[in-house]
Amino acid sequence: MRVSSRAPYRIVGLAGSLALSVFLIAAWTRTASAPPVGNVVRGRSIVLSHGCGDCHGGFANPAAKGWLAGVMDPSQEFKIGPCYITPGAQPCFTTRPRNLTPDNATGIGRFTDRQLFNALRFGLRPGETPDVEITSQTPGKGNFPVHPHYLAPPMPWMSWRNMTDQELWDIAAYLKRGLKPVVNKVADSEGPPDFWASEFVKPMYGTYPAAAFPTANEKQP
Amino acid sequence: MSSRRPPRFSTFAALVAPLLFSGATAHARPTSRTVELTLTASPARLALVPGQSTDAFAYNGQIPGPTLEFREGDRVVIHFRNNLPETSTIHWHGLHIPASADGSPLNPVKPGGTYDYVFTILPGTAGTYWYHPHPDHRTGDQVAKGLYGAIVVRAADDPLASIPEKLLVLSDNRFLTSGEVDLQHHDSPQALIDEQNGREGDVLFVNGQVIPRLTIRSGEVQRWRIVNASAARVFRLALPGHEVLYVGSDGGLFERPVPVKEIVLANGERAELLVRGTGTPGSRETLQTLPYDRYTPQTRPANWNAPRDLLTLQYSDEAPLAPVVLPSVLRRIPVLDTAKATATHVIVLSQGLINNKTMDMHRVDARGPLGATEIWQIENVVGMDHSFHLHGFQFQVLDRNGVPEPFRAWKDIVNVPKHETLRFIVRYDDYPGKWMFHCHILDHEDHGMMGILEVTPQHRGRP
Repeated sequence: MRVSSRAPYRIVGLAGSLALSVFLIAAWTRTASAPPVGNVVRGRSIVLSHGCGDCHGGFANPAAKGWLAGVMDPSQEFKIGPCYITPGAQPCFTTRPRNLTPDNATGIGRFTDRQLFNALRFGLRPGETPDVEITSQTPGKGNFPVHPHYLAPPMPWMSWRNMTDQELWDIAAYLKRGLKPVVNKVADSEGPPDFWASEFVKPMYGTYPAAAFPTANEKQP
Repeated sequence: MSSRRPPRFSTFAALVAPLLFSGATAHARPTSRTVELTLTASPARLALVPGQSTDAFAYNGQIPGPTLEFREGDRVVIHFRNNLPETSTIHWHGLHIPASADGSPLNPVKPGGTYDYVFTILPGTAGTYWYHPHPDHRTGDQVAKGLYGAIVVRAADDPLASIPEKLLVLSDNRFLTSGEVDLQHHDSPQALIDEQNGREGDVLFVNGQVIPRLTIRSGEVQRWRIVNASAARVFRLALPGHEVLYVGSDGGLFERPVPVKEIVLANGERAELLVRGTGTPGSRETLQTLPYDRYTPQTRPANWNAPRDLLTLQYSDEAPLAPVVLPSVLRRIPVLDTAKATATHVIVLSQGLINNKTMDMHRVDARGPLGATEIWQIENVVGMDHSFHLHGFQFQVLDRNGVPEPFRAWKDIVNVPKHETLRFIVRYDDYPGKWMFHCHILDHEDHGMMGILEVTPQHRGRP
């Protein structure tokens, strides 16, 4: 909520009793603890080296038209399901890489850094997940949504989530403050809505954090 | 304050049993009166669908609840008795009344409890409104069980007073084979779809009946007051082969009639239509709801694009009436001047969230001084529609995606289509206090897609 020409928050006067004021101050401190601020230049480097533009537009060229601005051409859409191999087979879902530029209406301009962080770490769709610090991966605990809604495949957040916290904040900083907004309305992806929550996917990608080194496939050098 | 007590009318003066399509009875007179009545919410076993009985909730034993008819100037005292096994309230959707009488979740009424809602119907507020529960987290279930009803407020100088009137309360519901209301356990696949789309039912009701018959005489003009009391369904109403004039919405009449082929009526919205009976004696037509894609692609229902029948319009065999001349001007709607707006609130709607937050009863999300004129910019940043409702104050939509609204209207709820930005202007007249604003898809509201506007008593705006 932005209210111009007015103090954003006032506690005095709301506090009818000591208990109430203690509660309000506690609530205020919680919301006021700002998330870490990422570094735009480092964020750009990570975005370039992780192929974000391969799907979201512009490949590895930040000077390209449509850099990270999402689907502008049907060739950028994905077919999810058996139709990926056999045209016409069902079920068949079309997913579309979103506009990652900070345009308010069509991009990520109205999402906070923390919502972008939560999208990259937990795969949670920023438009459906509150701006809160998530401290658990169990639905209903530690602010993890009771009914999580995940990004559409093939967004590879299950790999990207293994970046450090700082790297994810850096990506969010670059997308929010290092890009000019581009107006490009991308049609919403179709399902499958619970793809990343399915038992089929989970064993493939393991847990977060990843199993401790060395696993049976690995060895100490 | 005058010490003279206005005359008190009996309960029956205002508590009109909702006889199907009952016509306008009382001609509004400019007298001041007090209307006092009791609404009791109780469990009831009722026949909602043919051949079956259902455990429901009902106001005064009926679904929809009794239609409340008031006149501008009425002082209203409603004694609410909550005989439900759970906390409830009654919210008088759209009425401009004190916050203490608004029936918001801030004033819950416990099981067995009572609450007196006392308010005055101010001049200029004639229109079609409705009432329903508004407890924290439970509104959707209580409305689904049957708690909703219509309110008609009449003006002494109603330009359409001579036209026969019909009330159409639209709703939908879903039933188990046992006949019980299908309220899914919150972890079931259907409940997850309901949480996303808002709960829709496959059975469509008009005044609690399935495809009822409404009679009209050839040549007659009828005034239809329509309430969309469903939790999430958007009706796109069309009456083939008929001339329909759109004459009013949430806060009453427009300035002049608008000819339409169809209207989109989102959940919570109301409309007033003039339907001219251009059919021949003995013929019939069907009022339908046409497909409207408000859904996110992942959870769009399989049959979303099928038209559905709502009611049969049956022409009597009587000879046609002489053509009726309709007024070309209905009333004047004051302009809320954008130059006088002292603040702009940006409200971002995403899925289940307002400004990326869920509801907190102890938080105030927006503040404005009493009497101030302010602009609200509502941005829907996700791929499904949300209907946005502000309690307490009627507003005027300014523009949608920058395109100016074609005509002025008083609104208290407006559908914000997917990825659309809409602005409205509102003046916080008369009543300070805490007012809810929320998505009126009841599942979204119950999951916290709601915020609080506090209108502060100190006067800092223009007079």
